[in-house]
Amino acid sequence: MSIVAAKPLEAGVPAERILAQLAERFAAVRDGRDRWGLTVTVARERLRDCLQWLRDEPSLHCDTLLDVAGVDYLAFPGHRGPRFAVVYLLKSTRFRHRLAVKVEVDEDDCALPSVHDLWKIADWAERETWDQYGIVFRGHPNLKRLLNHHEFSGHPLRKDYPCQKRQKLSVNDPMVDQLEARLRQRGYEVVERGEVSAGDPLTFREKSP
Amino acid sequence: MTFKPVPAAVPEVSLGDAFVTTRADAVVNWARRNSLWPFPFGTACCAIEFMGTVSSMFDLSRFGAELVRFSPRQADLLLIAGTVTYKQAPILRRIYDQMLEPKWVIAAGACATSGGFYDCYCTVPGIDEIIPVDIYIAGCPPRPEAFIEAVYQLQQKIGTESVAARKAVGA
Repeated sequence: MSIVAAKPLEAGVPAERILAQLAERFAAVRDGRDRWGLTVTVARERLRDCLQWLRDEPSLHCDTLLDVAGVDYLAFPGHRGPRFAVVYLLKSTRFRHRLAVKVEVDEDDCALPSVHDLWKIADWAERETWDQYGIVFRGHPNLKRLLNHHEFSGHPLRKDYPCQKRQKLSVNDPMVDQLEARLRQRGYEVVERGEVSAGDPLTFREKSP
Repeated sequence: MTFKPVPAAVPEVSLGDAFVTTRADAVVNWARRNSLWPFPFGTACCAIEFMGTVSSMFDLSRFGAELVRFSPRQADLLLIAGTVTYKQAPILRRIYDQMLEPKWVIAAGACATSGGFYDCYCTVPGIDEIIPVDIYIAGCPPRPEAFIEAVYQLQQKIGTESVAARKAVGA
């Protein structure tokens, strides 16, 4: 099987060789349940090294993190082992191949090392995974909810969450902390600050030199 | 509205039909219902249908409700067209609170009236959990004819209201 797309920009690496290298370096094994492309399972302790190697190895060049997806195997037919898994979907823009790295996460020790320093997008992707599944990413600089509101309790994509439970939001979540930090970084300053929780906007002005 | 002709037998008065007698309710409601200024709170595909409704093909201005405002302080008809999540709900409530009385609300489409098929943890099952609603429109999304029918029904409803009776907040 080759995971290289029909028209690679440069010569890609066959899947067998990637598998052999990953097995040798990180004791990764292929996930027999993968339906498309190539999915490998690695241990939590070697996850960061494995992902960093996949990114930096010139012959693989997995420079894009497409997504970080949580999986809850509670009540999954025939499943044994830890309840959760997290899948990192990688893509190489040079070779156009895709690769999925899966790591199993135990319910009692529901945490993984963060990779926000390897790919910037992991910042939000890990926040979403924590929000929806309750999987903690250690070392994440701002691990707060991304999709659900700040008064939400629980993690709705866990299979034991009662999906019809409604949780009202009483105070608006302005979500401007990151915007403010970025605008400050670009040389803007806040000139007017309304009641942020009520939805009043911040007014910015470019700092005069 | 009735015209009161001045009797010709009174020679001192020859004002003709310069007088009109009517009820205050009738004349105020006539003005209100024929100059609805909608604020579209469009979050999904229903808002696309509303765009068709106010455009030339269906032309909601024939019924006096085409002047779409994007400031709630200038609008008296809040038109929710689309799905509202719990995260958005305080924003919708604040927009409603910012509108001046008298104000009316139309919930357009399945999502705004009942949450639609989003029977889940994040969607408000009908915006009447957040704000009071005058008219509900069925459909997913409703056709422009349904929007026009809703505006027409709202105009009928406004016609029955009394100016003297103070509208309770949220009624």
